[in-house]
Amino acid sequence: MASKKTAQKTLSLAPVLDLNEATALHEKLLALKGSDIVIDASAVERVGTLCVQVLMAGAKTWEEDHLSFTFSKVSDAFEKTTQLIGVEIDHLVAKEI
Amino acid sequence: MDMNEIKEIFFQECEEQLAELESGLLKLNDGDRDPETVNAVFRAVHSIKGGAGAFGLDDLVSFAHVFETTLDCVRSNRLDPGPEVLKVMLKSADVLADLTNAARDGGSVDEARSRQLIKELEALANGEVPQASAAAVEPVAKPVAVVAPPPVNDEGFQPVAFSFDDFDAAEEPLMDMPVYEIVFKPKSDLYAKGNEATLLLRDLSRLGEMSIHCDMGALPTLDRLSPESAYFFWKISLKTDKGEDAIRTVFEFAEWDCDLEISLVEDEATQSGEELPMQPVPFDLSILDDEPAVLVGVVEEEEQLASRRQDRDAAVSAAGTASNVLQMAQSAARTPAEKPAPAAASAAAQSAAAQQAAASAATPTIRVDLDRVDRLINLVGELVINQAMLSQSVVENDNNGTSSINMGLEELQQLTREIQDSVMAIRAQPVKPVFQRMSRIVREIADMTGKSVRLITEGENTEVDKTVIDKLAEPLTHMIRNAVDHGLETPEKRLAAGKSAEGTVRLTAKHRSGRIVIELADDGAGINREKVRQKAIDNDLITADANLSDEEIDNLIFHAGFSTADKISDISGRGVGMDVVKRSIQALGGRINISSKPGHGSVFTMSLPLTLAVLDGMVVTVANQTLVVPLTAIVETLQPEAAAIHSFGSNQRLISIRNSFCPLVDVGRILNFRAIQANPVEGVALLVESEGGGQRALMVDAIQGQRQVVIKSLEANYTHVPGIAAATILGDGRVALILDVDAIVAASRGHSLKPEMSLAAAG
Repeated sequence: MASKKTAQKTLSLAPVLDLNEATALHEKLLALKGSDIVIDASAVERVGTLCVQVLMAGAKTWEEDHLSFTFSKVSDAFEKTTQLIGVEIDHLVAKEI
Repeated sequence: MDMNEIKEIFFQECEEQLAELESGLLKLNDGDRDPETVNAVFRAVHSIKGGAGAFGLDDLVSFAHVFETTLDCVRSNRLDPGPEVLKVMLKSADVLADLTNAARDGGSVDEARSRQLIKELEALANGEVPQASAAAVEPVAKPVAVVAPPPVNDEGFQPVAFSFDDFDAAEEPLMDMPVYEIVFKPKSDLYAKGNEATLLLRDLSRLGEMSIHCDMGALPTLDRLSPESAYFFWKISLKTDKGEDAIRTVFEFAEWDCDLEISLVEDEATQSGEELPMQPVPFDLSILDDEPAVLVGVVEEEEQLASRRQDRDAAVSAAGTASNVLQMAQSAARTPAEKPAPAAASAAAQSAAAQQAAASAATPTIRVDLDRVDRLINLVGELVINQAMLSQSVVENDNNGTSSINMGLEELQQLTREIQDSVMAIRAQPVKPVFQRMSRIVREIADMTGKSVRLITEGENTEVDKTVIDKLAEPLTHMIRNAVDHGLETPEKRLAAGKSAEGTVRLTAKHRSGRIVIELADDGAGINREKVRQKAIDNDLITADANLSDEEIDNLIFHAGFSTADKISDISGRGVGMDVVKRSIQALGGRINISSKPGHGSVFTMSLPLTLAVLDGMVVTVANQTLVVPLTAIVETLQPEAAAIHSFGSNQRLISIRNSFCPLVDVGRILNFRAIQANPVEGVALLVESEGGGQRALMVDAIQGQRQVVIKSLEANYTHVPGIAAATILGDGRVALILDVDAIVAASRGHSLKPEMSLAAAG
C-alpha cells in the first residue's frame, strides 16, 4: 500500500502526550510531511485532546496528499481515550499486513 | 420591608461595589495582577448587574453586562489589562456610577458617553486594539438579548455569560434514568488553562451510560493547525440518574472556557432520530486512571466542590466567588507545570477558598441611620456636660465631700469618657471614599485639559469623623481641580522642563497630634509668584510697592476673586477657587497652608480636627475670661521667672526656655481683652506648637484645670470670631471660648487676626 516513490517513515509517540506535547508533536508531523507515515502509539500512557487533534489533522492532511497515515500499534490507553472522546481511529489502525 | 427599602439597600450596596470596583481597577492600574483583584472587580460589576436586573433597571443592566463581559476577558487572561484598557475601564466605572445614581435619583446620564464606552468595551472584548474604531459593534439594546452572547467562532473572544443562578436551576429528574443531550464546545482557553477535555469526558462518562460524537468539522490540515487551539467539539448523550447538577459539576472548572448546552431529552425516540453517528463509550476506563498525578487532583477538587455545594445554599455568591478563586488557583497552579502537581493545586485552591471565606466573614456590620447616631452623640455630649456640672456642684456644696461620693464621681467621669469615645468611634470613617472620588475627578480633569496625571493616595484608611469627611469632599475637589488645571503643566512643558510627561498629584492623610492632616502635593510648576503678585496689584488687593514675603504672596491665592489662569476654564476658573476652599476648611475648624517651590510644585496642607464634637482642653483664665486651649496644641506649661523674660523690639518679649528664646504672646492683648500687656511673672506660659511651625509661649493669667469639653460651634450659633475656634459650656453652665491657637500665633507674628483685611488695607 505504501507508495513506492517515497520512503515510509515511522513516528513513535511519547508515553505522555499532554497539553505541552501538542506543539512538539505538530512540528514532528510537519517535518514528516510528504512521506507515508506509520505511527507507533504502543508506548502511549496518556494522551490529551490537543494531541489527538494534531494526529487527526495529520490524518486529514496525509489523506489530502494521498499518502498513507497509519497507526502500527496502539496502546490500550490510546485506544480507550480516542474511544472516550468519540474519535474513530479504527480505519487508521494497521490491520494484518 | 417594602420594595423601596430593598431598592435602597441595593443602592447602598451598589455604592460599596462601585468603591470596590474603582479601587480594584486602580490597583490593576498600578500593576497589580493578583487574580483576586480581577475577581473582585468582576464581582462588583456582576453584583450590580444582578441587582439591577432584579429591579428592572435596564440601562444599568445592559451597560454592566458589556462591562462584565470585557472584565471576564481580563479575568480569563484573554485581555491584558494594560494602561489603555484600564483607561476605558475606569471611565466605564465612572459611567456605571453615573447610571447607578441616575437610577436612584432619576438624574441624567451622558448617553453619548455611555454608548461610546459600550463600543469601546465591546471592542476590547473582541480583542480589538483600544482606541480603534469600533463602529461595527452594535450597542447592546436590551438586557434580555445579552444574557448569553453566542460565540463568534471557535477562536472568538466572545466569553460565555454565566450566572450563578444556573447552579440552582437544576431540577431533580423525576423519571428513571433520564437521557441528557450535552453539547460541549471547549474554547482554546480551556486547554491553555490546563484543563483537559478527555478528563472532563471521562468524569462525565462515569455518571452513567454515555455515547459520544466528536465533531471534527473545524479541524484544518496540519499546516494550518494551531496545535493549542480547540477544534473538536462534542455532542454527548448521557443516560444518568444523577441529575443536571452532577453534569454541571463535571464542567464546573471549565464552564467559562467552553460552551455547554445541557438539555433533557424527553423522548428517547427523538434522540434516536438523530443522524449523528454516536460512538458508545467503554465502561472500563480504568486504564486511563493510571495517571494519578492528574486524577487525584480532579477527584479532590470534586470533593471540595461537593462540600462547597452545600454551603452554596447559605451563601450563594460567596461560594460562587470561591469557585472562581478555585478556578484561578487551579489554572495558575497547573498551567506552568509540565506535570500538574495536584496536591499543590488543591492546597492552593483550598487556601484561596479559605481566605475568601475569611474575607467574606470578616467583621459583621449593621447599617444604622446616621440621625440615630447623631442623636446618641448629642445625648452623650449633654451627658458629659451634665457630669461636669454634677462634679462641680458636689465640690462646691460639700467641701469635705466624702471619698465615696468623689470616687463615684470619678468612676462616672471615666465611664462617660469611655461612652463618648465609643460613640465617636461609630462616626469615625476612613477617608477612603472621598479619596476615591478624587481619582475620578483627576481622570476627568486630565481628560479635559489633555494632561496626563497620576493620582497617588496614601493613608486612605485614616479615620476621621463622618461630618469632617462629608464636608471635606467639596474643598478637596476644588483643590484637586486646581492642582491639575493650574498646578501641573502640559506634557510638552513638563518634558521641556526635564520632568516626565505624566504629572503626579499626591493625596495623603495622616493623624498628627490629634488632628488629621491632609496633604495635596503636585509636582507641577509651583506658584508663579510674579503672576500672583501682579494679579493682586491689578485687583487692588495690594499696592504695587507692597513688600510681601514669598509665603504672603502664596497666600494671596486664598483671596476672594483670585484666579491666575489666563483664560477662565470650565474646570477651575470663575475665580471662586481657593477662598471658598479656605472658608470651608475653616468652617470645619481646620487650617490650610500652602508651600510652593517654583519648578517643583506646590503642597497644600490641611489640618482638621478628628471630630467636631469634643476636645480635651486646658481651661485657663485670661483677663477674667474663661478660655479653653486645646490640649493637643500645648507642649508644656511653665511659670515664667522675671529673669527669663527679655524685651525685644518696641513691644515684643521673649522668654528663655532651656537656653532658647521663644516669643511670648499675651493672649489677652491679642484678643483685645485688655489694653496693656500683662506682667508675665504673674501669669502662666503655655508653650504651644502651631501648624505653621515654631513654638510660642502663650501668656494666660491662670490655669483652672484640664477638661474634656463638648464643642459648640460659634459659627452655627453666633458668628465666626477671629482667634476663637468654637465655644463650650462649662460645668457651671457658663459659656467658655475655645482658643484657635494657630490664629493667635499667626496674629502674634504681626498678622492681624483678619489677614485678608490687613492686606486689603495695605493696598
